[in-house]
Amino acid sequence: MRIAATMLALLLLGAAPAWSSPIAGPSIEERADILRTQLKGHADYHAHLARELTTVAEAEKAQHDIRIAKIFMDMAEREASKSEGEQ
Amino acid sequence: MKHARLLLSLTLALTAGCAAKISLPLNDPQLGEAREAIKQARQADAEQCAPALQAKAVASLYWAAHEITEEEYHPDENASLIANAVRYARQAEAKAKKMCWRLEGVHFAFDSAELTPDSRTTLDDAVAKLKKARHIRVEIAAHTDSIGTEDYNLKLSERRAKAVFDYFVTHGIDGSRLTVKGYGESQPVASNDTKEGRALNRRVELRVQQ
Repeated sequence: MRIAATMLALLLLGAAPAWSSPIAGPSIEERADILRTQLKGHADYHAHLARELTTVAEAEKAQHDIRIAKIFMDMAEREASKSEGEQ
Repeated sequence: MKHARLLLSLTLALTAGCAAKISLPLNDPQLGEAREAIKQARQADAEQCAPALQAKAVASLYWAAHEITEEEYHPDENASLIANAVRYARQAEAKAKKMCWRLEGVHFAFDSAELTPDSRTTLDDAVAKLKKARHIRVEIAAHTDSIGTEDYNLKLSERRAKAVFDYFVTHGIDGSRLTVKGYGESQPVASNDTKEGRALNRRVELRVQQ
């Protein structure tokens, strides 16, 4: 029964909106800030694309489409990881 | 225990659902013009020579592709995103062609850094251009296709870039205006899966330094 209660709690936590969960991880804004700081001074294609995708993620978040905002933020972070710095 | 198993299955199913990724319908016919413009810009090496504009074009394409998947899709509104992608890609292509001169017609003997005699016309044109534009510095950037190992291709491209450098210097260009870089197969401008794509990828460019 105790296991069942734990499962239920986890289930409810998972179903809650991301912004209301204490274990949801950083917000789109926080991730965007980290990415922009990390890419400061980078001028290659991947860095530019990462910044552009971050802007899309922020716009989607502003329209309350958190799921899509996260997907674009994931794409932005993948591009950022390919950036080799200044050119 | 039975309940616990049921809840576990439900939890895993929901977790899997949250982790699902969307796939963008990049091949949708509505995106055809934008796709083609981005491809043309890429073949002009816009990722290297006009990276900011090319990134704007690609991000606009991705965004437009996502909008197509929306339940309440508005083609009219999405048209402006698609138009942006086309506009940025064309600007990227134009800038890339201005900033990076593809030395069309420069060839090397197979698996070698020896310039073939027919390369002279193109190289002489480049020498004339460099003599005219005395204030600019350029990087000689050589590229290969992906046939062969990465390491081998990198070294081959370095030797090929150096061969072009030597040609320029012996024809009166001040070596201090030139830098040399071999990129191997790392910066393709087309698919390496086709003969035509590989031919585009084997190239030498002069990149005007800002």
